[in-house]
Amino acid sequence: MININNISKWYGNTHVLKNCSAKVDKGEVVVVCGPSGSGKSTLIKCVNGLEPFQKGEIIVNGVSVGDPKTDLPKLRSKIGMVFQNFELFPHMTVMANINLAQIKVLGRSEQEARDRAMMLLKRVGLEAHAHKYPAELSGGQQQRVAIARALAMDPIAMLFDEPTSALDPEMINEVLDVMVELAQEGMTMMVVTHEMGFARKVAHRVIFMDEGEIAEDAAKEDFFGKPRSERAVQFLSKILHH
Amino acid sequence: MFTGFDWEVIWRTKAYLWQGMLFTFNLTLLAMLGGILIGTLLALMRLSSYRIFNIPAGAYVNLLRSIPLILVIFWFYFLVPFAIKFITGQPHAEGIGPFYSALIAFTIFEAAYYCEIIRAGIQSVPRGQVNAAYALGLTYRQAMMKVILPQAFRNMIPILLTQGVILFQDTSLVYVVGLTDFMGAANKVAQRDARLVELYLFAAFVYFVLCFSASYAVKQLQAKLAPSSR
Repeated sequence: MININNISKWYGNTHVLKNCSAKVDKGEVVVVCGPSGSGKSTLIKCVNGLEPFQKGEIIVNGVSVGDPKTDLPKLRSKIGMVFQNFELFPHMTVMANINLAQIKVLGRSEQEARDRAMMLLKRVGLEAHAHKYPAELSGGQQQRVAIARALAMDPIAMLFDEPTSALDPEMINEVLDVMVELAQEGMTMMVVTHEMGFARKVAHRVIFMDEGEIAEDAAKEDFFGKPRSERAVQFLSKILHH
Repeated sequence: MFTGFDWEVIWRTKAYLWQGMLFTFNLTLLAMLGGILIGTLLALMRLSSYRIFNIPAGAYVNLLRSIPLILVIFWFYFLVPFAIKFITGQPHAEGIGPFYSALIAFTIFEAAYYCEIIRAGIQSVPRGQVNAAYALGLTYRQAMMKVILPQAFRNMIPILLTQGVILFQDTSLVYVVGLTDFMGAANKVAQRDARLVELYLFAAFVYFVLCFSASYAVKQLQAKLAPSSR
């Protein structure tokens, strides 16, 4: 479903992605991890064209992301994305946040959108907060709304860019629980995260990135069992110790 | 002339002065609306990554901000009828009249200033909001209209209004094309009745009260908007 072929990206003279290739099949959950600054967030933003790249190609659902002729808004409407800082629209209620793109992009009626939004809010346990503004919610609640907002578009795949990194520790699990459930239902997911517990539980494969390169791309069992690269071993020992 | 002030003169000419004040309000509001509208378009052009948009917009802003307002008013009053004659080829073509030429002059002049305010406002909206809007499949236009501009304008309201207060004072320059705003009306009464001190003091007082109250209201509004921002 997502095919990343030899992409390279530069910020000025800085080579931030070096010949990265990866693949996410339908129904697969792929976790991307690595030290900060390794390019993992940049990589995931390339997948739905939020970040341009200079070389290589990314094919999502048969459509080339880097092709100037591609209708990016149409492609993006099928790929859900969840951000580190939630990025709910602060001037809209929770309900309006979830409805905006359903109505504007998918052309759903107000009533259809509301019904879908209520269903998803129930699912993430926030139906009582539909009328509130994002600033009235905790970080964990905001992130669950953000997930509901992405799911309202009935995406064929979901991208998560460090969804729990900005959360207080006690709120991480409420977000991870929603993600685990989603994974178990067979959603195609690409997840940038440091939550190795999540990776162990639901990931099929783990990609380890370092200095703009994909240093390791292995089945979960192999990655946690015997990582092949020295750098992955070091990274895991650091991250799993606390 | 300076002995025995006659404050009665203001009361006697109040209808005329009020006419002038209405003109001032009218011109200020219309120029502000036009300026914000064109300024928003200019700001979007300046922020565009396409050179055919950002270079002309940048040139426009830099040009207008380097020229005195009074010169722009003159230009439009004297050059526009000339240009119309030249384009249409009619030897006796009418101009568009002093009011519209002044309105256009103020609008395009203010647009340059509003452009810079609005550009800063748009840039104050975090990049992540733009990404989130795009990630949902919104087009550039939808993302701007529904997500970015509402937040940008909310952040900008105080400074936009402050610029409006400056514009309100600047409208007194229309006397150069023979229009009678509040200042012009006060001036005419002052000359006619030889009551310069009374009228100029009164005009200053009125401008002060209006502008000071407006600035105060803006400050209150700013305090009210601040805590709810992110």
